[in-house]
Amino acid sequence: MAAVAALPDEVARVALDLPLRANLSALDNIALIPIYQRHFRVGESNQQAQQLLDHLGHADIAPLRDPDMTPAQRFVTKLARALILKRPRLVIDRPGAMLYDVPYPTFIRQLAARAEMTGTWEIFDFSWNQALYKE
Amino acid sequence: MNFLATSIESLGAKVVGWFTVGYGMFAFLVQASLLLLEPATWNRATFDVVVKQVYFTAVQILHVFLGYALVISWLIISIILSTARDFGLTEFASEMTIRVLVLELLPFLTALFVALRSGSAINTEVALMQVNNELDALAHCKVPPMQFEFLPRLVGGVVSVVTLAGLAGLLALLMGYLAIYGMNAAGFEPYTQTIAKIFDFKIVAGLVVKCALFGLAVTLIPVTAGLETPKKLFMVPVSVLRGMMRVFFAIVAIEVVSLALKYI
Repeated sequence: MAAVAALPDEVARVALDLPLRANLSALDNIALIPIYQRHFRVGESNQQAQQLLDHLGHADIAPLRDPDMTPAQRFVTKLARALILKRPRLVIDRPGAMLYDVPYPTFIRQLAARAEMTGTWEIFDFSWNQALYKE
Repeated sequence: MNFLATSIESLGAKVVGWFTVGYGMFAFLVQASLLLLEPATWNRATFDVVVKQVYFTAVQILHVFLGYALVISWLIISIILSTARDFGLTEFASEMTIRVLVLELLPFLTALFVALRSGSAINTEVALMQVNNELDALAHCKVPPMQFEFLPRLVGGVVSVVTLAGLAGLLALLMGYLAIYGMNAAGFEPYTQTIAKIFDFKIVAGLVVKCALFGLAVTLIPVTAGLETPKKLFMVPVSVLRGMMRVFFAIVAIEVVSLALKYI
C-alpha cells in the first residue's frame, strides 16, 4: 500500500488516509480546489462543486460536514474532490475501508457511469476482494 | 559523577529542545511573513477565513469581553482612587489609572482572554488536523495549508487582540473620567490634557506593537505546537498543554520586556 501513497502528482487519490476537512461542508471541501488551483472566484467554484455533486446524484450532501455524513456520502465527497482536481489518473485506494455501508463495487460502477472524466479510474484493493467485482 | 553527567545531558537536551522549538517558530513566522507579502496569497478563500477568524475571536465574544473589561476597570479605578485619596495624591489618580489600566493591565488581560478562548481552540484544531492527516489531504489537493489554514489565523489573532485591547482601553478611559469627575463636563480639559501627556507617539507605537506581539503569541505558538503533534490521538491534549504553557510564558515575557523598556 506504500506504493499507492507514493503515486506521482498527476494522480488524484480517493483514500481513507486523505480525509475531508472536518469543519468544512462537502461543498466547501470540493470548491476549495478551483479557488486555489485555478484562481476561480468563490461563487463560480461553489457552482462547479454543486454541479459535480448534482452529476454524481448526491446534490443533497452539499451542506453536510464530515461527521454528519454516512460512509457512502463521505466517499462521494472525496470522489468529487478528486474529480475536480482534473488529473489524468484517479486511484481509489482500498474502497472497502471507506464504503462499508454499501455493496461497493456496484456503487463505484454507478458513480463511474455518472461521472464525466477523460482519464482512467483504477481501484487498488486486496486480492481476496476480487470476487466482489465479478458480478 | 554519573549523576552529574546525567544532569548535564538532561539540561543539554532541554536547552536543545527549547532552541529547536524557538527556531521552528521563527522559521514559521518568516515563511508566513513572506507569504503575507505575496499578492497571490490574498484570494477570496483566504480573505474569508481571515474574516471568520476575526469574527470568532473578537466579534462573537465582544459583549462578554466588554462586560469583563468594564468590571475589571471599575474595580481597579476604585482601588486607585481610594488609595490616592488616602495618601493625598488625588491629582495623580487619572494618570495612574491610565498607565495601569490602558497601557498595562487591559492589553495583558485581553491577550490572556484570547489565548484561553481562541489559542487553545487553534492548538486543538491544528493538532487534530495533523493527527487526522487533513493537512496531508490538503497538500495532495494542492491547497497550501499555510495560506488557507495558518496565515489567516495569525492575521485574525493580531487584528483581534489589537482591536479588543483598543476597545477595552477606550472603555477604561471613559470609566476613569466618570469615576474621577462624574457626569460633569468640567473635568474634560484636564483629563484630555493628561491623556495627551501620556500618549505620545512612542507610547502609542509601543502599545500597538505590544498588542500585535500578544496577538502573534496567542496564535503562532498554538499553531506551531499543533503542528509538532505526533500522529497519535492521545497526544492532542499533551500538545495543547505544551502550547498553552508556551503561550503563557510568551505573554508574560512580552509584558516584562515592555515594562522594562518603558520604566527602567
